Amino acid sequence: MVKNIFIILLSILVILILCFLLYSFYIYFANIELFVLKTGAFVILFFTGLVIMRYMLLLFFSMLKILIKSSDENYESFENKDLRVTLIVPAYNEEVVIEKSIRSLLLQTYPNLEILIVDDGSKDRTYPLAKKYEFTKGLRSLKALTKKNGGKANAINYGIEHSTGNLIMVVDADSKLNDDAVELMVRYFQNPEIAAVAGSVYVSNQNNILTKLQALEYIEGLNMVRNGQAFLKLVNIIPGPIGMFRKDALYEVGLYDDDTFAEDCDVTLKLIMKGYKIDFEPEAVAVTEAPENLLDLIKQRYRWTRGILQAIKKHSSILWNFKKSFAASFTLWYMLFEAVFWPFIDIWSNLYIIYISLTHGYSILMFYWWSIFTVLDVTGALYCVLITGERLSLIIYAVYYRLFFVQIINIAKILSTIEEWFGIKMSWGKLERKGNL
Amino acid sequence: MNILSFLAMMILIITIITLIFGIIAYFLYKAREKKRAKNKKTLTYDEALNDIGSEYIFFE
Repeated sequence: MVKNIFIILLSILVILILCFLLYSFYIYFANIELFVLKTGAFVILFFTGLVIMRYMLLLFFSMLKILIKSSDENYESFENKDLRVTLIVPAYNEEVVIEKSIRSLLLQTYPNLEILIVDDGSKDRTYPLAKKYEFTKGLRSLKALTKKNGGKANAINYGIEHSTGNLIMVVDADSKLNDDAVELMVRYFQNPEIAAVAGSVYVSNQNNILTKLQALEYIEGLNMVRNGQAFLKLVNIIPGPIGMFRKDALYEVGLYDDDTFAEDCDVTLKLIMKGYKIDFEPEAVAVTEAPENLLDLIKQRYRWTRGILQAIKKHSSILWNFKKSFAASFTLWYMLFEAVFWPFIDIWSNLYIIYISLTHGYSILMFYWWSIFTVLDVTGALYCVLITGERLSLIIYAVYYRLFFVQIINIAKILSTIEEWFGIKMSWGKLERKGNL
Repeated sequence: MNILSFLAMMILIITIITLIFGIIAYFLYKAREKKRAKNKKTLTYDEALNDIGSEYIFFE
């Protein structure tokens, strides 16, 4: 109760601060006389307004989702253990982390569970290490399968074809689940409209400023956003480290495709296009190893951006076809905004403000611009830390987050978008594991 | 110079530096990947089999 009142008061305070900052921002822009610069200012204000609205709506939806979930008696009283879950771990050259990952899976509290480790033609000891853990005991079993290297999507499909469960859970080999993750996620499948459920992803190796900034990004930019999207049952990406699917629904959409580098995004879009709902369970947690240096981080974001763009391009026929599936069109536009429009506008706005600061002396605009987003980031971080119980110290990083992290990520997104536009060849770009799970 | 102007100037300078750094970092990443791809020309047995399209490989 106290927490809820605090969050409501905080939201009101944030709205007031944002109104003040936006007004100050506008007042300076209003002084600009040149038409071209005025138009630029209008574009910035329009997109900033959109981003603030998106942020506040997601925060609001996220709160509503938590309230609805806490009052849902069906969810609380669910005891059915008849649904068999097959947990698939696609693995390629994961000898450093595979054992830790398997050990965490064996601790799952859900009894009706089959674990399949699918070795995708690794060149290291992934398969023999996984093989050591094979067992069958009652309803629980673990099996290690191996196949010729064919990519993550094919490895998951291979696992699905060899599965006995009604529900398929896909977990990355470099991730570790909390003990009740499967049990928490199974509950959502009481609703036949639900085809998939996403879980929360946290960073395990918070050992330098870069991984701490990513930890903040994961709880705020990814988990809070998914919780907000889940209010509409329209989570747009089931994350690789933790996602559960209805097997029939996966077969209905033709399983995973290997024609994009974001197979998780692609399969989620296909399910939404079929009219299915996608939910989110914030307490089902997977901890994953985040890139520890900047070049690896850029490498990861390069693949994510190009993969998402490939998925959007693949389903582009639905972009304007609101009649066919409003939910799918809306999701695609939302993704396009996040992946392309906003990074471009953000960097362009920075360049624009730098230009008028240097030519007109309006450097104060940069302060207001940064403040608007930092207020949003700090609020989001505070809200997420309160909800998730993550470390309070992460909030401090929200100040640097906008100043350094977002800029660099957005530049990587823009340059990746340009490469995708020109169809420059790319490879999967596997990250080297450090084993800090 | 008041505190607000000072902060604004600081943020402006940091932004300019970060933007330049971001672009340099991206091209450094591209250069690293190119170098890695060049150095990584080893074949596995399966890939070699696939390449020659035969059932066995005979080593001299």
